[in-house]
Amino acid sequence: MNKRAEGVARMLKASAPTLFGLFAVLLLASPLRLFYGIVPTPILPLVIVYFWTLYGPSYMPAPSVFAIGLLQDFLSGGPLGLWAGVYLVTQYIMLSQRSYFVGRELSVVWVGFAFAAAGAGLILWLVMSLMSGELLPVWRLVGQMFVTVVTYPLFSAAFSRLHRRVIVEM
Amino acid sequence: MDVLGQDRREGLGRKADSKFVLLLMILVSILLLLSSLYSAEASVFRKARENVLDAAAPILSIFAGPIAYVQGVVGDVGDYFNTLEQNQALREENAELRQWMEEALRLRETIAVYERLQNYYAPPEATPIDGFVIGESNDAFSHSMLVNAGARDGVERGQAVLDDQGLVGRIVDVGNNASRILLLTDVQSRVPVYVEDANLEGILVGRTKSKPSISFTASSVPVTLTPGQRVLTSGAGGSLPRGLAVGVIAGADKGEAVVDLYADYARTRMVRVIDYEFPAFEEAPVEPAGSSEAEPARAAPAGGDPLANPDSRPAAAAAADSNEGVD
Repeated sequence: MNKRAEGVARMLKASAPTLFGLFAVLLLASPLRLFYGIVPTPILPLVIVYFWTLYGPSYMPAPSVFAIGLLQDFLSGGPLGLWAGVYLVTQYIMLSQRSYFVGRELSVVWVGFAFAAAGAGLILWLVMSLMSGELLPVWRLVGQMFVTVVTYPLFSAAFSRLHRRVIVEM
Repeated sequence: MDVLGQDRREGLGRKADSKFVLLLMILVSILLLLSSLYSAEASVFRKARENVLDAAAPILSIFAGPIAYVQGVVGDVGDYFNTLEQNQALREENAELRQWMEEALRLRETIAVYERLQNYYAPPEATPIDGFVIGESNDAFSHSMLVNAGARDGVERGQAVLDDQGLVGRIVDVGNNASRILLLTDVQSRVPVYVEDANLEGILVGRTKSKPSISFTASSVPVTLTPGQRVLTSGAGGSLPRGLAVGVIAGADKGEAVVDLYADYARTRMVRVIDYEFPAFEEAPVEPAGSSEAEPARAAPAGGDPLANPDSRPAAAAAADSNEGVD
């Protein structure tokens, strides 16, 4: 009995980042409209994918990233595979740079995230422009990525506490 | 931070580092993307979309409740600071609206007289389906909203959606109890409109900016538009009723008229789906398709068919009834 409870707890902990990611997608799809739509909603799933790829890649395997991205594609109504691809490419690049970022202070990781967000935005813009056959205006995207990058330390602090205290230690 | 760096292999993702799976997943995404580029309307994708929509709708409804409550309680922070000016503006607007009301009442009486004189049949009323916005694509390029009314409530693809200000968009995906509205600002949105007092028809095209623009048909005569002219749905194509308020002309940009929408997407909360049945010619004498374009439109009112459309809709538009305009 005790063993089974332990197993369930372990399962929950191992899948927690994935569940957070899916939850973040649902949150992104709800009509939050921060300050009556003036402030675009930060792309929280991107933060989650970046964070766990960096600090616990075993908790954020590629199928999880794919699932998170696919759910976002379904809910946003865009072409399927777009966000999934963006998140997976972000993870691929982050895994190759991981040895550089692990153990660095927050500011370095933050700049890394800014680059990741810029890369993700570039892919989004290129694909959507290609699909619609015209160069789409970028300002909305830039604004949203800016808000995401600015709020990164906030989420990062919350996730690192969670990751250390709950997922790894308990 | 060094605790975070540790790799504990447990549970899900024991082989997370394997690049092979990651590359495979990237490949799958690219294939998905390419296939949805070439067959976005494929029934497999549509079914999948609608199923996910149905599955997510209850959860999103749970989220939407508290969000709406908080926004209702807190309100617009700016409102606290300019109450006086707002009061003043509202009073002026109220006075103006009273004058409009007087005029509307007078016109109603006049129209009633005309209706009695002529043998007039009103067009079939569009029946509304009400719903709440439970979701929104907070996405820079895809602009859509999710509403908690679906096929079970009678919602169908292509129907117009209004809020208390004006046209919001059109239904593109229909689940059982939720559906997706493609907003007018989305890059895929195309809605046939006309400009009041300009005798000018065109297509309202979304540009992912907050103001969509009108692309006029090539054959139309160049007419100068003045800012402030009303833009209404033209009903061409037959899937939207004619005369739904869309917005006003805001100006010109790169040779296209830019439209300031009546709908304020940051405040759209309750919407109304218009279940509109185009006054079809089914009851009129059957004619072989494509025999003559102008014939049915002229013949139907003469025959006293109560379903005939009484307004001056172009016959060509009526003939194009069958091709649904959702792009």
